[in-house]
Amino acid sequence: MGFLYTTLMFAAIGIIASLCARICCNKGPSANLFHLTLVITATVCCWLMWAIVYLAQMNPLIVPILSEGE
Amino acid sequence: MADGECLPAMDLMRSEPMQLARVIIPMESAHRAISYLGELGLFQFKDLNKDKSPFQRTYATQIKRCGEMARKIRFFRDQMNKAGVTSTKLTYGSVMTLDDLEAKLGELEAELLEMNANSEKLQHAYNELVEYRLVLKKMGEVFNSAQKKATIQHREQEHRRVEGSIDSPLLLEQEMTTDSSKQVKLGYVSGLVPRDKSIAFERILFRATRGNVFLKQDPVGEPVVDPVSGQKVEKNVFIVFHSGERAKSKVLKICDAFGANRYPFTDDAGKQHQMITEVNGKLAELKTTIDVGQHHLVSVLQSISLQFEQWKTMVKKEKSIYHTLNMLSFDVTKKCLVAEGWCPVFATNQIQKTLMQASTDSNSQIGAIFEILHTKEAPPTYFCTNKFTASFQEIVNAYGVAKYQEANPGVYTIVTFPFLFAVMFGDWGHGICLFLATLILILREKTYSSQKLGDIMEMAFGGRYVIIMMSIFSIYTGVIYNECFSVPFEIFGPSAYACRDPSCRDATTIGLIKVRETYPFGVDPIWHGTRSELPFLNSLKMKMSILLGVAQMNLGIILSYFNATFFRNEIDIWYQFVPQMIFLNSLFGYLSLLIIVKWCTGSKADLYHVMIYMFLSPMDDLDDNQLFLGQKYLQLLLLFLALIAVPWMLIPKPFLLKKQHEERHRGEAYVPLGALDDNLGPDSTPRSHGGHEEFEFSEVLVHQLIHTIEFVLGSVSNTASYLRLWALSLAHSELSKVFYEKVLILAWGYNSVVILIIGIIVFIFATVGVLLVMESLSAFLHALRLHWVEFQNKFYQGDGYRFYPFSFALMGDDEE
Repeated sequence: MGFLYTTLMFAAIGIIASLCARICCNKGPSANLFHLTLVITATVCCWLMWAIVYLAQMNPLIVPILSEGE
Repeated sequence: MADGECLPAMDLMRSEPMQLARVIIPMESAHRAISYLGELGLFQFKDLNKDKSPFQRTYATQIKRCGEMARKIRFFRDQMNKAGVTSTKLTYGSVMTLDDLEAKLGELEAELLEMNANSEKLQHAYNELVEYRLVLKKMGEVFNSAQKKATIQHREQEHRRVEGSIDSPLLLEQEMTTDSSKQVKLGYVSGLVPRDKSIAFERILFRATRGNVFLKQDPVGEPVVDPVSGQKVEKNVFIVFHSGERAKSKVLKICDAFGANRYPFTDDAGKQHQMITEVNGKLAELKTTIDVGQHHLVSVLQSISLQFEQWKTMVKKEKSIYHTLNMLSFDVTKKCLVAEGWCPVFATNQIQKTLMQASTDSNSQIGAIFEILHTKEAPPTYFCTNKFTASFQEIVNAYGVAKYQEANPGVYTIVTFPFLFAVMFGDWGHGICLFLATLILILREKTYSSQKLGDIMEMAFGGRYVIIMMSIFSIYTGVIYNECFSVPFEIFGPSAYACRDPSCRDATTIGLIKVRETYPFGVDPIWHGTRSELPFLNSLKMKMSILLGVAQMNLGIILSYFNATFFRNEIDIWYQFVPQMIFLNSLFGYLSLLIIVKWCTGSKADLYHVMIYMFLSPMDDLDDNQLFLGQKYLQLLLLFLALIAVPWMLIPKPFLLKKQHEERHRGEAYVPLGALDDNLGPDSTPRSHGGHEEFEFSEVLVHQLIHTIEFVLGSVSNTASYLRLWALSLAHSELSKVFYEKVLILAWGYNSVVILIIGIIVFIFATVGVLLVMESLSAFLHALRLHWVEFQNKFYQGDGYRFYPFSFALMGDDEE
């Protein structure tokens, strides 16, 4: 469940960021498309990284073994 | 983000549409038109007089004049540097024509040369007089002391004689008179000789005159400026007494050979005093004259320095205008100049307006004519970038300039390049340091852009937007890896792991267990310092590298689809894009799927085993390595698809290209020749029909074979190449852990303030030097390589040429 919620949060942040980009610098349809591309690419990259790290820890095969002196 | 010139703008995705244009300018407005076009900076002139040598061109004399003026300006700059006058950056409003400027520069140069020659002469005379004064002083002392000794001796002799008999004085007088007539006239030469040559001087004099000279040398206390060489040299004052004319000529020759300056000297004491006062007077006079001359020179140079920059830019502009004018050709009537060149389509109106302005400003009767030509030549590539996107576009262009209107990887590079850097650099403490450092550069942009920076600072300043993007993404990946100077923080809630039982007996042998939900954002902070940290992180980062790599390579192949659609290349879509997608995804896309399924189910399947035996024995049962139902059949299907994708990429395309070529040429034999003459313009070389090269089937087949092998083998090697994301991130975290634990924590353990301070200083230097500078450069380089090779070789041609318009703003400072 945590995975789904955080994915939706990433999507929401992406939508808000593209809306901000559209509001702040509205310079014609091709420039808008360009900004949208950048925002979506950045959101996808960030989400991908988070999702990979999250999925890897969901069902771990290795557990932390503390070293002596901890 | 596109700048004003590009409206209505095209996306940065494809280069601007360009057109070949011909401009016909009447002679009287030619210079002004080119000058205005240079200000506008959107027209690239083609050289229409390529076959003429530089001396045959029309404006060769003008260029020579400009060259002369540039030389004079360089001379002024040297003079100003020598005198220590700096040129101000003020631009004065006075506009003068080229002829006026030339005359002014000429007269200033003559004046400066004359002043320099005069001051040199005066300085020479001054130095000689200084030396002469030294000779007078020293030799005066010598003669005085010798005179005193001689008078004392003479008096003693006199005493002795007077005490003798009465008869003897007569004889003695006779002796003395005869003695004086028999005496040979003693001559002397005096002057200064350099001290290091003085011993050799003495020896040679002795040998040459067979010891019949008397040399007296007296060193001078401080170094004297030698009039001939102008340097300060240590010298000795010498006087040589010789007898006879032959000895005198020998002495003179030897003096000349040793560079000893000779000065006349009288033995009369009265005359000596007179000479000394005279020389002193002359020296004072010369000094004031020289000083006045120097003041005058400095004031002239200062008046030049006020207008120096303005003159320099004017001469440069004029020279470039004449170079451009030389590229134009005359039309039939010899009353107009014809220019051909490339310009962006959006700039058509601006160029026409500029030309009209030039015609009205030069009061010419006829306006310039602007017409568009159609050609099959490949146009230059022009991207409208602003200061943010320019640096990313430079990174792409460094590998190769995009072919005209092909998809520009720069669009995605703006995000993926800093992202891949950050995957290798992930540490939010280091990210914040980089961010603050680059923020300073960006906030002081205006001051830095007008200064002249050193080479390294220039590069860092030019890439400031790239670096700040890199640092922002590094902060993000640092939070995900949970590393701040290698220290993890529990920001997002408690760690998911805890001891198996309250006594924590097994914590160091079997380990903890997962008791709560997965740590919501990033790597669990418990992992840091555990014994199984490296196996866990290595597995995580390697799989992450593969997933990111497959994603980026797929993006590359999809961009090749967009290129094929844009250039309406059906063959490329069906016989290149589709089999490539199938091949890559049936192997490495499937691997990515297995990784994700394994993570989601937590199965203990060995993915190496699965992938390798998929090829070696695909019919075998999977048993323990089964991740989902029907996996064996899916694997067989994917293997089959991958195997047929290879001949699908290799074989159909050459045959289809051959058929296409034949179809194009079959119809052409019946078309009249006149309609094919597309390329107007005086320099067009007659091209073959339609501009196609000959079609060599074997060549195309070999080309396709190479392309296929490159893709197939490359898919394995490129996927493995992405593992550098893991390798560098591991190196970074290990280095930062070592610096933290072995420097800072060690210093803390000593409980001494001095050692702690030393430890902090060493930690700071190590972090900045190794981690922030060296690791950044290393991660930058590897992210760059991943983009240039693994991403771009899926779709990028990169064999275009850049648009270099004639623009005054783009003229660099080529004199420095």
